Amino acid sequence: MKRLFSLLLVLMMALTVFAGCASDEPATPAADALPGDGLELVVYAGLMEDHAILAMREFEKETGVKVDMVRMSGGEIFARIKAEKENPSASIWYGGGALTFIQAKNEELLENYKSPNAEAIPANLKDADGAWTGIYSGYLGIEGNKKWLEENGLELPKTFDDLLKPEFKGNIVIAHPGSSSTAYNFLATVIQMKGEEEGFKYLQKFNKQVRQYTKSGSAPGRMVGMGEAPIAIGFLHDAIKYQKEGYEDLIFTAPEEGTGYEIGAVGIIKNGPDQEAAKLFVDWALSKEAQELGQTVGSYQFLTNPDANPPEEAMQLKGTILIDYDFVWAGNQRQAFIEKFMEMTQTELPTE
Amino acid sequence: MQENTRKIKIKAEIATMKNVIRDPILLTTIIIVLSIVTLFIVIPLFRIMGSSFLFEGGVTMKYYEAIFTKAYNRLIIKNTIKLGLTVSLLATSIGFLFAYASAYLKMKSKRLFDAIAILPIISPPFLIALSAILLFGRTGLITRGLLGIRDAEIYGFKGLVLVQTLTFFPVAYLVLSGLLKQIDPSVEEASRSLGASRGQVFRTVTVPLMAPGIANAALLIFIQSVADFGNPMVIGGNYTTMAAQIYLQGIGSLDMSGATALAMILVVISVFAFIIQKYYVGKKSYITVTGKISRARQLIDEPHIVKPVQILVILISLLVGMMYILVPIGSFVKLWGVNYSLTLDHFRYVMDLGIKPILDTTLLAVIATPITGILAMVIAFLTVRRRFPGRGYMEFTTMLAIAIPGTVIGLGYILTFNTGPLVLTGTAAILVIAFMIRSMPVGIRSGIAALQQIDPSIEEAASILGASSQKVFTSVTLPMIRPAFFSGLVNSFARSMTLVSTVIFLVSARWNLLTVAIMAQIDQGKIGVASVYSTMLIVIVTIVISLIRFVVSRLGVSADDITL
Repeated sequence: MKRLFSLLLVLMMALTVFAGCASDEPATPAADALPGDGLELVVYAGLMEDHAILAMREFEKETGVKVDMVRMSGGEIFARIKAEKENPSASIWYGGGALTFIQAKNEELLENYKSPNAEAIPANLKDADGAWTGIYSGYLGIEGNKKWLEENGLELPKTFDDLLKPEFKGNIVIAHPGSSSTAYNFLATVIQMKGEEEGFKYLQKFNKQVRQYTKSGSAPGRMVGMGEAPIAIGFLHDAIKYQKEGYEDLIFTAPEEGTGYEIGAVGIIKNGPDQEAAKLFVDWALSKEAQELGQTVGSYQFLTNPDANPPEEAMQLKGTILIDYDFVWAGNQRQAFIEKFMEMTQTELPTE
Repeated sequence: MQENTRKIKIKAEIATMKNVIRDPILLTTIIIVLSIVTLFIVIPLFRIMGSSFLFEGGVTMKYYEAIFTKAYNRLIIKNTIKLGLTVSLLATSIGFLFAYASAYLKMKSKRLFDAIAILPIISPPFLIALSAILLFGRTGLITRGLLGIRDAEIYGFKGLVLVQTLTFFPVAYLVLSGLLKQIDPSVEEASRSLGASRGQVFRTVTVPLMAPGIANAALLIFIQSVADFGNPMVIGGNYTTMAAQIYLQGIGSLDMSGATALAMILVVISVFAFIIQKYYVGKKSYITVTGKISRARQLIDEPHIVKPVQILVILISLLVGMMYILVPIGSFVKLWGVNYSLTLDHFRYVMDLGIKPILDTTLLAVIATPITGILAMVIAFLTVRRRFPGRGYMEFTTMLAIAIPGTVIGLGYILTFNTGPLVLTGTAAILVIAFMIRSMPVGIRSGIAALQQIDPSIEEAASILGASSQKVFTSVTLPMIRPAFFSGLVNSFARSMTLVSTVIFLVSARWNLLTVAIMAQIDQGKIGVASVYSTMLIVIVTIVISLIRFVVSRLGVSADDITL
């Protein structure tokens, strides 16, 4: 037993060293003084984890600011910032849907800052007061597992209404709107497409089709790729990412009748400890270079900076029909809609 | 007459008080211990209670009403209790089977049982859930690969029962094997020579003797199942339990008041089980002798008894072993269920992500370990050997900490230490404190058990010769209870490293912990990366425990005396 352990140990150490070497980048000594030397910054990131890590590293290299980052889902970040209102520990909220940012703005959790780099960004992709600024946009869609569909002689649902068909009962995975901005985006999309009353009727039926609500919005797509779940709702750029990662059975489509979309945003947390570094960060996050980082690690959203080159992978989504999404309205309604959704789904016994 | 006894009582109390005051170090220690207990166990609980009853300055029952009137919430409570009862029944049965096989039957590979029993202690609490998905999920090795089942459903009640049973049965094994070894074989031999068959002896002698122990184990498992947070989060699917719902509601939906009301109900359930366990079942003992057993038991070797038990036990051991081996293997597999080629990508990813959570977790656990160990022994010493006002309060609250689910403590800390006079959220201190409070009770328990076996006259002798309380403790008591102290160290380190329920509320960008990072990876569906982290965690715990054992054996304590 002991020998086995030590063997395992040695193996592990060797691997760690090996893996470490493989990814080591040569450290470049900073020749000039950087604008953020000596500054520190705490970031709550709602981006894909690998994207967030790369972004932090580049930002540190370019500005000299020392960053501590933790990745959470959009809803979690919002809850965290609200809980820490009296004593914020982070200064930047980076990535995650604008809808949650709008609610945060309404609750006075965000600092207004109009970055000079935000001028070029179209008005519908940023907050008028500068509480948040868009960094990317992505489209909502339906993902399915090709194998499962073939085995069951089914086709990938083409519209949101198709999801209510009996054959998909208990086979759909989506994040919970309370914890994920992706899932709230879906909720708000449905209500904008169908009107409030019809929309909630739809959601009530939809709830019965759902097999599991996850915490993160990006999880359902991966579950479909793995074959753990047959159908999921999520962002299509995530689906492209998963396909590229090797989940070959993952197929996706944008609903024919049109679909919702998100704006991923960046914002400064009110009374956060490092306001100066935070402004540097927002300036940097809106730059062409920063926005183009995502595509190198598989984040295939469309970008908000008009100078930045959108990822080639996203081009297949170019023809998607988008609804006229009212972000401010959807963000203002967030609390009420989520409460209504929870109320509605909770009073319904989840059928096993 | 009554007047007189009262006077005597008061006098006695004044005398103990004087004794305490005369010994300034003892007095300071008592004050420190009492304030730690009050600040980090009692006040957070009261904050939760307060928040669950208050609304806009007035007292309200609306949060409780919301829980009991909504079918969904009632279902969650029912789910939790149903799961707890099922798991406690199954896990106790399996634990009993293992304990019986180990103490009564003649067979090989008994050391294996002890190894299996240690595994859940040194690994993250949701590890088995992770491997259950790898094995029995829709693309699981067994369900899909071996049996070709396409619609296997591991998420939900069945999956939870499987996972919790395998995680918690070692608890029953450890409790029961200790007890079985204390049954004097002569009782059973007497019954045998009077003509009873093996079956009769088992039914009419062994089982009745074990009844309180079995009830004890069952209640302990019930408490752990009800408090379990990691497994329901990972594999619960839509089968929500209270411990998970407290987190989802408090953090996910930001309904703190609703979460606190739910937390109060959960506390009531588990404290109720704890009180039955401690004050009713725990007091009953049919152990036949005290001290050493007269002689070793003659082991049963009839094949018709040994064989079936052996097969069952080995099958279960294999299953458990497989679950633990799968995780290190999973860390090398490219995409589980899709592409089984081997890769180092996940290790590289973890290196890229930074090993900071790994280092931080280890650092904080290393800091918490000696503090917890010493504090636990001090509290045990004060409980058993010293009389002072507040002793009962101290004993009860420290033991209560076992019964309070980790999620509840985490929630209480957020409520108490985010604002107000003592702001601790976001710091390393709050994590170290969480580690301490969660792992201390076990140390205290073993410290008390060890002290009760040692005659106080040795310490009294030192006292009479003029040694202060501090001197008595460091030069007489502590050396005598060394094994308990070192076991406490090992245990507290392992528990700190694997704690998830409490700390998930308390981590920050500066201080993120390994278990929480694993949960986040699982939630994002990155099973490979989660496996790498889990493997590293097990390796670190194993290294540090081996180190402690090595150092301790150099200090002259047999490493075998150090139990988990």
